[in-house]
Amino acid sequence: MSSVSSSESERSESLQSDTQPGATSSSFDIYATYERFLQNEDISTPLAAILALTELVEKSNAGTMFELVKALNDGAKSLKEGTPNPISLNCGCELFVAFVSLFPHDSDTFSELKTELVKQGRSYAAEALGYRDRIADLSLGFIKDDSILTHSYSRVVMKTLLRAHKQKRISVYVTEARPRGLGFVLNVSSLAAAGIPCTVVLDSAVAYVMDNVDFVLVGSEAVVESGGLINAVGSHQMAIIAKAANKPFYALAESYKFHRLFPLSQYDLPTHNPSILSFPRTGTLSTLSAQPLSSSISQLHEVPTVPSESHSALLVPLSMTPEQIARNPDVDYTRPDLISLVISDVGHLTPEGVSQYLVGMFAG
Amino acid sequence: MASELNNPSQRLVENLASKLRRRQVVGSRQAALETVLVLRQVVSKARFSKFEQLVEIIRSAGRRLVEAQPKEHSVGNTVRKVLHHIREEYHTATKGRASASTRNAFSISKFVLQGQPRKQNVLTKTDEKGTIKENDPDDPDSFARGLKPVLMEAIQDVLDELETVYDNVSKNARDHIHSDEIILTIGKSKTVEAFLKSAAHHRNYTVIVAETGPSYSGHEMAQSLSSAGISTFLVPDSSIYALMSRVNKVILGAHAVLANGGMFAITGSLLAATAARAHSTPVVVCAGQFKLTPLWNLYHEYGALDFADPSNVLGFEEGGLVDKVDVINPYYDYVHPELVDAFITNDGDHPPSSIYRLIKETYDDEDHDL
Repeated sequence: MSSVSSSESERSESLQSDTQPGATSSSFDIYATYERFLQNEDISTPLAAILALTELVEKSNAGTMFELVKALNDGAKSLKEGTPNPISLNCGCELFVAFVSLFPHDSDTFSELKTELVKQGRSYAAEALGYRDRIADLSLGFIKDDSILTHSYSRVVMKTLLRAHKQKRISVYVTEARPRGLGFVLNVSSLAAAGIPCTVVLDSAVAYVMDNVDFVLVGSEAVVESGGLINAVGSHQMAIIAKAANKPFYALAESYKFHRLFPLSQYDLPTHNPSILSFPRTGTLSTLSAQPLSSSISQLHEVPTVPSESHSALLVPLSMTPEQIARNPDVDYTRPDLISLVISDVGHLTPEGVSQYLVGMFAG
Repeated sequence: MASELNNPSQRLVENLASKLRRRQVVGSRQAALETVLVLRQVVSKARFSKFEQLVEIIRSAGRRLVEAQPKEHSVGNTVRKVLHHIREEYHTATKGRASASTRNAFSISKFVLQGQPRKQNVLTKTDEKGTIKENDPDDPDSFARGLKPVLMEAIQDVLDELETVYDNVSKNARDHIHSDEIILTIGKSKTVEAFLKSAAHHRNYTVIVAETGPSYSGHEMAQSLSSAGISTFLVPDSSIYALMSRVNKVILGAHAVLANGGMFAITGSLLAATAARAHSTPVVVCAGQFKLTPLWNLYHEYGALDFADPSNVLGFEEGGLVDKVDVINPYYDYVHPELVDAFITNDGDHPPSSIYRLIKETYDDEDHDL
């Protein structure tokens, strides 16, 4: 399960769960199932959610549609409770639940319908694995021999860059994407391995590098109904800077990441909670500042220290404590007017175009 | 592929291709009209026993014409539109059998693409109407014979639409132009001309026409408008910005409208649109549907550039200078979607951001590359 098989047939096989005999819906642990699917690194969160819910349908002993939808909603709820950032997981859950409740069928018995739904869920997941290739193909027309800025790590951006590298001479700037450092860790190694010229830039150097790039390419956690984008924190400021410099800002999103949400500001996101941006209690602050600096530095986790001529760099801590990180957002919301295009497996869309699909699925 | 075309229609295609290449056919509507006429001949002469064969015949003719002059985007658009129409006719003609295979094929990806399933989709499957048989071994021509009348009708629809395009664009002109307004326009677009004249039946307003160097097509436009009784001013291009504070609305024509809502228009349009933006003056573009081009990013490709005769900029009478400088005369501007407020088409009024949807409805996805 954990191994990523390359051939298509093997891959779809690995999507099939190994059915445990005698498992009932009560003993079925949806979260463990979900995590098991996530181990396959080709499967993104919304897909893993769909697969986990598919499995729930298979194991469920619901006898009516009402019971089944309720079981699915409960399953989605327990999945949501398990993760700190439920946004993209929600996309998958809502899509599948809407699909199940609207599925036009002519099955004679309810168990027949359930089998059909399970089949649908799995075939969709198998099909959806090809969406990234499709997006990479669709994006190709927008890439010339360009210098590209990207933010954090996204599998679809990765695929697009590698695809473009086969035909064009591209060079890539990657932000390190603090605090998780995904851009730094994942992008650089795989881009360099493919022979794409690639430089890591500080999150704070985005404005500095912007004049030197041709466009910005980011992945997404979700694309919401306004056409706005939810992505790793820092995307919003990158979009603002790109707009100011008149550079195109392209978002890549698989269609299962379309999310029925209409945030008006950062603080409307489901991930926002009171502890984000809160101020530490003054008591803890005074104890912290009372400690000698050297010991407080040693408490911090490993940081890539910048070799610097200036002494001041050594005196201040170069990284944040886990508590400080917890007071920071994980994702942010980019307004649609800052996004040039959303490139998805359903085609190129203007940001406004996303709502057409969401209304088609969820309205009426 | 060209060898599949039978001779007389192939000659017609080649004829138009060379006319396009030699610039004997210019202007998007003219090119579109000629293309439909040629395609009508091609279809009426074509021999085919399968629908796919016919599609390939039309496509190869289309490819030939597009390659001859990639800058006349309306040629490709017309081919796509004809293909879309005949596909539709084919599907209605063979309804019973074609839809039987798609039955019960609802899936999550379909759900994402097409939205909620509709009741009638599930129900109307029983009427077995298909009288046209494909690939009949006894009589290979029977399919073509049965289908051709409806195909000719479909092509006639495209032709009718092209012929009535000016009337339909200017249908609602009086809702866009109000009494005592000052309108600025540039170049001589037949669509804009018809639009302004139609509005003049109902409203009393003033038009400022920029003379649009180096072709000076604005002169003709001003003459035509004033002879229709519209109070008209002809101004040099260089005063567009200064006059903009007086202008209520900028009305432009287009050469091609791209999927992102941007457009190619005569040089000077970008100047006028940017000046309008600085004064927050609305910019309205009048364009027929045949100008909608299913391309997103053409503006930074080679095909986007088109150059006119440089003698208008610097003639040979100034021989001493001609040797010392390079003279170019770019013919079109790319106006990006942010500068346009609305497109008035024969298919209703649309903001730039929904042009892509219009294109999706007008053409089939598989035809974007001919």
